[in-house]
Amino acid sequence: MTLPAKLLDSIASAAVREGLADAVYTRLDTPIGKLLIVQGERGVVRVGFPDERVDALLAQVAAQLGPRIVASDRELAATRDVVAAYFDGVDERLDVPVDLSLVRSDFRRSALTLLRNEVGPGHVVTYGTLAAKIGHPKAARAVGSACATNPVPIIVPCHRVVPGAGGVGSYGGGPQLKRLLLAREGAKFA
Amino acid sequence: MSRAALPPFWSLVEAHGDELLVHARRMAGEANGEDVLQDALLRALRAYPRLRHAAHLRAWLYRVTTTTALDHIRARRREVLTDEPPAAVADPEHYDDAFESLIGELPDGTQAALRLRFVEDLDYERIAARLGCSPVAARQRVSTAIRTLRTQGIAA
Repeated sequence: MTLPAKLLDSIASAAVREGLADAVYTRLDTPIGKLLIVQGERGVVRVGFPDERVDALLAQVAAQLGPRIVASDRELAATRDVVAAYFDGVDERLDVPVDLSLVRSDFRRSALTLLRNEVGPGHVVTYGTLAAKIGHPKAARAVGSACATNPVPIIVPCHRVVPGAGGVGSYGGGPQLKRLLLAREGAKFA
Repeated sequence: MSRAALPPFWSLVEAHGDELLVHARRMAGEANGEDVLQDALLRALRAYPRLRHAAHLRAWLYRVTTTTALDHIRARRREVLTDEPPAAVADPEHYDDAFESLIGELPDGTQAALRLRFVEDLDYERIAARLGCSPVAARQRVSTAIRTLRTQGIAA
């Protein structure tokens, strides 16, 4: 596309200002590749790994939040700064509003919410422990599914959930990436 | 259900933005093209969730851009002629009315050519077939009409 960037920015910002955008997305260069960040009115709804297909992912967001999706680095500047600060190691809290409306069940939503609120950078928790914390001690497997389908990876830190039996376990972005993120955060795990 | 089938709006901008800008410039003049396209895309965005089907989206964007360009031309003409407030923004569902009122003063044959081009979104081959003239003549008729409207907009 060769439309002037200034024109595209101006259109996207006007759309946001007039309340016409169901969601806004941006692509951010990070040490793990280009992340896609999609934000709705109430917070970040989706983070896409570099190997995920952008169009498929946006179509998924459109089906849930509505089709009026625009791209704007400028409108998501605050979110970009927070995610960049995480990868720079300047501030690892990832303190941005998150909207879990793409999560399909209340159980998964409560598991992810608890994870985000209670397991900070440098820490890990097992699937079983997280299950117990939300009052379903036998639901380690279901917590695993909640993590596997987490629409907002990195920001909702499912990389900090590991198997009780040891190792890093699986990850949407691949186990190597999980290991890398945990190492960057200085987490100690078996 | 139909809502889920509509693609993310920005994918349309990425796919068709370039040609729509060319179209907006051709209609409203080089200097106004970007303003027209911005207004057109915001209008389209307003109407987008109400579209009943996801077919012919490119043709739809062309129509919205055409109507917006014509509104710009008309608004400029009013500014020059009178102290009337600028034209109210046409409801995107009634852009055909705005279009009709704008071309109403033109000769019938010209109106027909413009309707076939911008309302029915036909190419010049098909317009020529409908009007019983050559494609070159059809193209000429449309471009002359646009030039007339534009001249009225700037100079009338």
